[in-house]
Amino acid sequence: MVYKVSIVVPGVEHGGAIINLSEKPQPGDHLKIGEMEVEVVEVIDLLPPRGDFHFLHATCERVETK
Amino acid sequence: MDTVELLKGVDIFEGLTDHELKRVAGVCREAKFAKGQIVTTQGEEGEEMYIVRDGLVEVTVGETSEPRTVVNLGTGQVVGEMALVDRGPRSATARCVTDATLNVIQREAFEKLCESDTQIGMVVYRNLAADLSFKLRHRHLSRR
Repeated sequence: MVYKVSIVVPGVEHGGAIINLSEKPQPGDHLKIGEMEVEVVEVIDLLPPRGDFHFLHATCERVETK
Repeated sequence: MDTVELLKGVDIFEGLTDHELKRVAGVCREAKFAKGQIVTTQGEEGEEMYIVRDGLVEVTVGETSEPRTVVNLGTGQVVGEMALVDRGPRSATARCVTDATLNVIQREAFEKLCESDTQIGMVVYRNLAADLSFKLRHRHLSRR
């Protein structure tokens, strides 16, 4: 399966990202978008699956790294 | 990873057989980009579509000194696909945020392939429309 995920980070001037993942993201997961690390807060199905592809939307929070 | 395996992980090619994917792979070439390198420039003519093989590509709009980031595209995403669809100037600037490897598809070669195999053309153009729709939905959600 391929999980195509629309990632949005509210409150951050970033634009978010669209990435493919091999596993469905879950709340609490940490993801790297370039040099920014985010934590998944909520995941919803954005569109019905097509073939091996699932289309998701994840709302995330920025993780402050030291 | 060979190109056919890469294409299997790209949703605009979902629904193609292995034979059809091999034909698409035949019109792909690989290109390396350094961190910070520009892939497309807003307003310029464009003849290619790019598939992110690895790395991250930032898409910005705005012709001022402060362009606005609309999305970052990672592995398996397509960049510059509007040039294949509408033949208009580039709608955005795409710049590599990291070192990146992209697969490049020339419009002319891709159109010839689609004309010679209309099944490939139908599937890919349908999926390209869905990809544009997905990006619009992402844009709407990111502006809430």
